[in-house]
Amino acid sequence: MMPTWPTPSPPQGVPPSNVYTATYPAPAFTPVQVRQTFGQSYSAPQPSYPTAHPYGPAQSPPPVPTNYQSSAAPPPAADEQPRKKVEWPDSVRFYVQRSFFPANMDPTVSREEMEAKLKETIMRASEDNLLYSIKWETMLLPQQIIKKEREDRAKAIAYSAQVQNPYASTPAHISKKRKSADLEDVANLSITPPWRTGQGARLEDRVTFSKDKRQATEESADNTSKLNKYEKRQKRFNGGYVSTYRSPSPPPGDGPVVGTCEKLEKNYLRLTAPPKPENVRPPRVLKNTLELLKKKWKKDQNYAYICDQFKSMRQDLTVQRVRDDFTVEVYEIHARIALEKGDLGEYNQCQTQLKALYKLGLKGNANEFKAYRILYFIHTANRTDLNSVLADLTPTEKKDKAIKHALDVRSSLALGNYHRFFQLYNETPNMGAYLMDMFVGRERLAALCNICKAYKPDVPLRFVTEELYFESDLEAAQFVSDHGGQDLLQEKDGTIVILTGKAGQTFENHKAKAFARVDIKGQI
Amino acid sequence: MEFGPALYQEFGEARKTRDGYRLAKTISPDLPPAQLSNIWKSVNSAGNWKAPRDDDVKAAIKRGLSSSPARLDGIGHKEIKGWVEVYFAYWQTTGILAEVQQTSSWTNAYEQWKVLINALIQGYNGHEFEAWTIPCLYVAGKHLRLFAMQADENTSVNDTSAAAFQDDFDPELQKHQKLEDCARVLNRVFSLCLSDRAPLEESRKWGLYYIINLLFKTYFKLNATGLSKNVLRILTAGRGDMPDFHSFPKSQQVTFKYHEGVLCFLEENYVEAEKHLTEAWNTCHKDAMRNKELILTYLIPCHLITTHTLPTAKLLEPYPRLQKLFLPLCQCIKKGELHKFDLALQEAEDEFVKRRIYLTLERGRDIALRNLLRKVFIAGGFEPVAKEGDKPVRRTRVPVAEFAAGISLGSEEKVDNDEVECLLANMIYKVSRNLPYPRSFCLGRQGSHGCQD
Repeated sequence: MMPTWPTPSPPQGVPPSNVYTATYPAPAFTPVQVRQTFGQSYSAPQPSYPTAHPYGPAQSPPPVPTNYQSSAAPPPAADEQPRKKVEWPDSVRFYVQRSFFPANMDPTVSREEMEAKLKETIMRASEDNLLYSIKWETMLLPQQIIKKEREDRAKAIAYSAQVQNPYASTPAHISKKRKSADLEDVANLSITPPWRTGQGARLEDRVTFSKDKRQATEESADNTSKLNKYEKRQKRFNGGYVSTYRSPSPPPGDGPVVGTCEKLEKNYLRLTAPPKPENVRPPRVLKNTLELLKKKWKKDQNYAYICDQFKSMRQDLTVQRVRDDFTVEVYEIHARIALEKGDLGEYNQCQTQLKALYKLGLKGNANEFKAYRILYFIHTANRTDLNSVLADLTPTEKKDKAIKHALDVRSSLALGNYHRFFQLYNETPNMGAYLMDMFVGRERLAALCNICKAYKPDVPLRFVTEELYFESDLEAAQFVSDHGGQDLLQEKDGTIVILTGKAGQTFENHKAKAFARVDIKGQI
Repeated sequence: MEFGPALYQEFGEARKTRDGYRLAKTISPDLPPAQLSNIWKSVNSAGNWKAPRDDDVKAAIKRGLSSSPARLDGIGHKEIKGWVEVYFAYWQTTGILAEVQQTSSWTNAYEQWKVLINALIQGYNGHEFEAWTIPCLYVAGKHLRLFAMQADENTSVNDTSAAAFQDDFDPELQKHQKLEDCARVLNRVFSLCLSDRAPLEESRKWGLYYIINLLFKTYFKLNATGLSKNVLRILTAGRGDMPDFHSFPKSQQVTFKYHEGVLCFLEENYVEAEKHLTEAWNTCHKDAMRNKELILTYLIPCHLITTHTLPTAKLLEPYPRLQKLFLPLCQCIKKGELHKFDLALQEAEDEFVKRRIYLTLERGRDIALRNLLRKVFIAGGFEPVAKEGDKPVRRTRVPVAEFAAGISLGSEEKVDNDEVECLLANMIYKVSRNLPYPRSFCLGRQGSHGCQD
């Protein structure tokens, strides 16, 4: 029988340097390796220890990357093995594979421990018939489980002995680890989105779990289809942050938390219990986090990661009841980034908070964001809120450049003055153009409808280009044909004209559709 | 009414005649302080002057109610127990209210009154209170809202004790803490009425509209009109097994229709809004001037949008406030004075915004613009008479420049031709939307001047 379960025994005669010749990641090999490993592990619980074991030396823990290069050898052997009754689902295989990703390795957890834990986890799942219902994608990796158990133990000790938390002593070490892991997560977004790794998965675990408890086996098929749907939905959202379900908030504790966490980065997890100080970063740390995130955003432009990080930052501020100028800064930056990425859901959360924060008299760019607010309500056609915004503005604010611009945009639209509207579009201050982009399309359609009714028999394309502020005649022509007007474009006396007289209802339907309810809940 | 034979007598009489309003009067907190104080003492004075224990008071009330001089036929033990809780809560509130002018402890009054309304809800849920007693819920609900507002007014905004560590906090909401709470309680009462499965003749559903109106008022004050919409949705869903709307008291109909109309108004659904507001207007008592004024505040802008008509002087005559609000604007619209219209709108902006009619009135500018165009057209006069004796013919073309001049009239601002054309295009679009398209009513690009028939 072939060696199946990866064993800790150090292969004799394999110099450590060999380990580093491996190229990572090597996905072409890993699935095979996994299949081989798991196809037999349970049928042969007593692994033998051959000298030519494919894995690197496990005795010297840090670092413990798998030598994928040499693991190429076993697959044929694996295929020779008779197929076992237990078919491991792909998700389990990926889970194992993921566990051994070099980036996910933890120097503090030995391979031996990892493998034992991995085995234990999967065995238990198999025994409980949960192999197909557990969300392996979000399952904690063995090394994470181990670390967590250690942490819990440490915490218990720390609590009773009232000593400093064990991680404070090795902050640099830990944070370095975290960083790389997070970066790797981000890089492998399609495999393990950051909001699903580690703690972030808890919510989903819980949701599926409650179901499992009731009818684990009967419903597993149904479950997977549901999960697939969920996954599809996430794909649709293009790897962005998704949070629609809100569990009831936990009851407030006795007072604000004072954080002791020294890590710079932290994944976001919606709280379901009072926060623990060791998981909360104090403002001093958060200030460094903000600088780090700013740099990362400039460099990587990875929105899913940034959004997640900002959310955890906001949470840390909230649980510590930090409401000062720094809080405003965090929210403002997050709002701007969300705007840039067109994530209106997240933007709106920030905006709502900012409104409250400004009300407390905190410093920030209140006018800039008030202007956004107005533009936002124009986009969502929320007349009630628009009215409230108007009611809240002071005469001085109304004179502010950005706010005045937003107010002018509003009134130009109210009066159907598209000429004025597009002029204003062209001179939008700050980042308001990102918001205006959201509704400029529908306003162009409306204006086009008007023009088609009013100008007969035709208008030069150039006129439309200029009136509706298209970048070029080409863009204008594209817009016209995109909305069913390709037949209306014609050359006449050397210029391209739009046959407005023949337009009829061409643009009306598109207009009606564009003005139909604006769905703001869809966050990317 | 003081706790004593008279009260118990009244309770029995109200019960015998099944007169809910009479019964509700016995728990009204709307009394002068002296009287409240008397009620408070009426329980104490009986015994020796020690603060009476709650149980003793309850026992006393129970004795009183059971031995009411009016015969309490068929009153069950549970029902009496329920009423004891209600009267006990009432008695406790009177103690707070009697001194509230000095102590300003409106929060206490609110909390205590909430105990009363909860006792009532309990009574309906478990103690077999009958549907004819729902006026008690009216009194309870009405005053709960009033106490909540008083309490919020007396609470400092900085009191953030309840600030949970949620991601969203809002000082606005903190300002209305008790009123928010009140809305939740009223919502429970709403469900209590709605969920009654008894036959209509003896159903709590007859209390629905009174409670809904209270909810509307609360939600409007909280600026949470979305929640009002929810109520309407629930109501529409359950309309099948409800008494006919028109068999409810007219006062309730008017208030309900008014709010329903305003809600539509806020959503820019002016046709529906006009329907509801008109019904409210027609049902409203002729002397309820304040209510009529409120209805008109929204009905007039509504009418302006749907029918392009302005209120007559006669209509506004009895309402000086409305005259001040609408007349300047109406004048400008009528005369097509665009610039003056803008000024008038600006002038009263705060007032309009406060009443949430600014955005609607702003659209009156279109009508002013149309009237201006008409004036420019008329000022254009006639085509030169070609032949002696011919009938003069109106000039049918209006140069864009002339209309532009008309728009700039009275203001310093100059409007460029493209913008004028844009405004004209808008008007044409509006006309052609409803009518078959008039051929000769269009803008000619080449000559850059509009023509009009």
